[in-house]
Amino acid sequence: MKLYDQIFDIVKQFKKLFSPGPVTNADVSGIVTAEIFLIVSLVLSAILLRHVSVLLAGLVTLILAIVLISSIPLIPKFKIEQDDSLEKMLFYAIVTLAILGVFLYWGGNLV
Amino acid sequence: MAQVQLIILITSVALVIIGLYSAIFIDNIIKKIIGISFIEEGANLFIVAIGYKAGGVVPILMPEMDTSWFASNAAYPLPFGLVLTSIVIGASTLAVMLALVMVLYKKYGTLSTKVMLADTSKQEEYNE
Amino acid sequence: MNELIPLMVIVPLMAALLISAFSRFNTVTKIFAFVVAICLPIIPIASNYGLHYFGGYEPMLDNVTNVMFHPAITYSFTFLQQIFIAMVGLLTFLVIFIYLTKYKEVSGPYLFLLFLGTAAVTAMLLTDDIFHMFVFFEILALAQVGIVAASSISYSNEMALKYMILGSIGSPMMLLGIGFLLAMTGSVNITDIAAAVHNGLVDATSPVFLMSLALIFFGWLYASGLPPFHTIKSGIYSKAEPHGAALLQSFTVISMISIVLVMFRIYSTLPIFEVLIVFFSILAMILGVSLALTQTDFRRMIGFLAVGELGFIGLGIGLGTQYSITAGLFQALNEITITALLFIGFGAIVNATNEVDTRKLGGLLAYHPKVSIMLLIGGLAMAGVPPLSGFQSKLMLVQASLSCGYPEISILAIVVSIATFVVFVKTYYSMFLKPKPNDLDVEHKEVPRAMIFAMGILLIIVIAFGVYPDVVTNGISNFVGGIL
Repeated sequence: MKLYDQIFDIVKQFKKLFSPGPVTNADVSGIVTAEIFLIVSLVLSAILLRHVSVLLAGLVTLILAIVLISSIPLIPKFKIEQDDSLEKMLFYAIVTLAILGVFLYWGGNLV
Repeated sequence: MAQVQLIILITSVALVIIGLYSAIFIDNIIKKIIGISFIEEGANLFIVAIGYKAGGVVPILMPEMDTSWFASNAAYPLPFGLVLTSIVIGASTLAVMLALVMVLYKKYGTLSTKVMLADTSKQEEYNE
Repeated sequence: MNELIPLMVIVPLMAALLISAFSRFNTVTKIFAFVVAICLPIIPIASNYGLHYFGGYEPMLDNVTNVMFHPAITYSFTFLQQIFIAMVGLLTFLVIFIYLTKYKEVSGPYLFLLFLGTAAVTAMLLTDDIFHMFVFFEILALAQVGIVAASSISYSNEMALKYMILGSIGSPMMLLGIGFLLAMTGSVNITDIAAAVHNGLVDATSPVFLMSLALIFFGWLYASGLPPFHTIKSGIYSKAEPHGAALLQSFTVISMISIVLVMFRIYSTLPIFEVLIVFFSILAMILGVSLALTQTDFRRMIGFLAVGELGFIGLGIGLGTQYSITAGLFQALNEITITALLFIGFGAIVNATNEVDTRKLGGLLAYHPKVSIMLLIGGLAMAGVPPLSGFQSKLMLVQASLSCGYPEISILAIVVSIATFVVFVKTYYSMFLKPKPNDLDVEHKEVPRAMIFAMGILLIIVIAFGVYPDVVTNGISNFVGGIL
C-alpha cells in the first residue's frame, strides 16, 4: 500500500510542477514511465561494476535499488535539479570539471 | 631564471581559479563575464609560458646568425603564434557576450544573473 | 584533384563573408546563397581522397631520430570525411533552401552564420592539427550562439548567453589541455603527438598527460552536450528556429565525433579513457531520455532525445573495437539525418499552428497528413524499427557490446531505445491522434512546400541507409581500421 501511495505521489508532485496548465493522461503515463526507466537503467548500469569486483557490484546494485525505490518520486527532484537556470548549470559544470581533474590526477592509472 | 617560468605558471593557475570562483559566486553578470574571461587569459598565459626559454633570444633568424647557435638559443615560437589566434577568438567571444548582456539589460533593467538568466521553462510553458 | 580539399572550407567561408558584405542586394544574395549551397554537397563527392599541406610544407624526416614531422597544417580527406561533409553539406543546402523560400527579404547575417557553422564543422572534420581544430571549435560556438540569438522565439537571447558563458568555461579548458600536450610533445599536429605517445617519447602515465586528457575531455563534453551540458544543449535546440535547430544538431554531432576521434588517436593507450567515455555516454542516455519523457514542449523534447541519442555514439566509440567504433560512427550519420527530419517536421507544425505545447495540440493528422506520416517514419527510425537506418546502427551497437563482453550495455541500449519509442509515441499521440481542442486554430495555414521537400529527401536517405547499410559501413570500417 505504501508503494502505491508513493507512486501516486509522483502525479501530485508533478501537478505542482506543471502548475499553470492541466496534466493530461499522456503526461502522467510519460512521467511514470520516466520514473521506472530511471530506476531500471541506473540499477542496470550499476551491474557494470562487476568488471571491477563482483562483490562490490552486488552490494552497490542492492543498495541503489533499495534507496531508489524507497525515495520514489524521483523525477520531480531530477527535473528541478536540471532546470534552465544558469547557476545550476554552472555549478554542475564546475563540479564535473573538479571531479574529472581530481579523479584523473590521482586515479588515472588505477583502471 | 627558471623561476620566471614558474611564477608565470603559478599566475596562470591563479587566473584560472579566480575565473572558476567568479563563475559560481558572483551575481553581477558583467563582473561574472570579466571573471570568466580570466580563465581564457590564464590558458593563454600558460601557453606563452611554455615557449619561454631562460636566456633565450627572439626567434627571428637574422642573416649574420649561426644557425646551430640560433637553434639552441631561440625561444620556441609556435606557442606565441597560437596565443595570438586564441586572443583574437577570446576577444570576439567577449564582445558577443557583452552585446547579449546589453540586449538583456534593456529587457530586464537589472544585471543580476539570478533574475536575468533564471529558469525560463516555466514562464513560457503556459503563456497565452 | 586534391585542390578541392581546402575548397570545402574556403567556399562556405568566402560565401559567408561575401553574403554578409553584400546583403543589401536581396535577389543577388538569394541566388548566390542558393548556388553556393548546391555546391556544398557536390564538392566532397567530386573530390579525390588524399592529404593537403597548407603552404606546401611537406612532412620532414628527422634523420637522427628517424621520426616524421608535419610542419604544415594538414587536411586529410578519406571516406569518413567525405560522407560526413557531404551529409552536412546536403543538410545546409536543405536548410538554406527552406530559409530562402520562407522569407521574401533574406537576412545576410543569418546566412553568414549558417555558412560559417558549416565551414567550421568541415574544417574540424578535415584537420589534422589540434589547435586548428580548437580555433574552428570556437568559431562554431560563435556561429551556434548567433543562430540561436537570431531566432524570434521568446527567451532565445537568454539561452544564447547561457550557452556562451558555459562555453567560455569549456573551451579555455580545452585550450589548457592542448597547451599541456604542446608542452609535452612540442607539436600540435595530431599525427606527431600520437606517434610520440605510441613510441614512448611521452610518459603516458604522467599526471600532466592525464590532466590534458581531463581538460580536453571537459571541452568535448561541452562540444557534444553530454551531461552536465545536456540541459543547455537541448535548450539551444528548442530556442533556435526549427530549420536552424536541424543544422545545430548536425554541428553538435560532427564536432563530437571529430574531437572524440582525435582524443581516441592520442589517448587510446589509456584504459581510463574508454571508461570515461562509456560512463558519460550512459549518463547522457539515461538523463536525456528520462527528461524527454517529462517535457510538454515538443521542441525541447526532441532536443533531449537528440542528447540521449548522442550517448549511443559515445558508447560505440567507448567500447573501442573496430566493429563498435564503426557502429558508433554509423549511428552518428543516422542521427544527423533522423534528428534533422524530426526538427524540420515539428518545425512545420509550429509554422502551421503557432503552438509548441503538446497539451494544447491535437487532431493534426486530418490537417497535415503528409507531415505526420513522414514524422512517424522518422520517429520509428530514431527508436530503431527495421528496416530503417536507426535499426541497423543500433543493432550493430548491441552486437558490438555483446561481443565485447558487456551484455549489460546491450540491455541498457535496448531499454533506452524502448523509452525513446515511448517518448515519440506519447508526443505523436498528443499532437496528431487525440481529438482537436476547440480553441486550436489550424485553418488556412499550409505547411511550406520546401519543408516537405526537405523531409522527403531526408526520408529517402533514412530508408536507403536502412536497406543498404553496407554502402557506408564498409568504408567507415576501413577508416577505423586505419586509426586503431
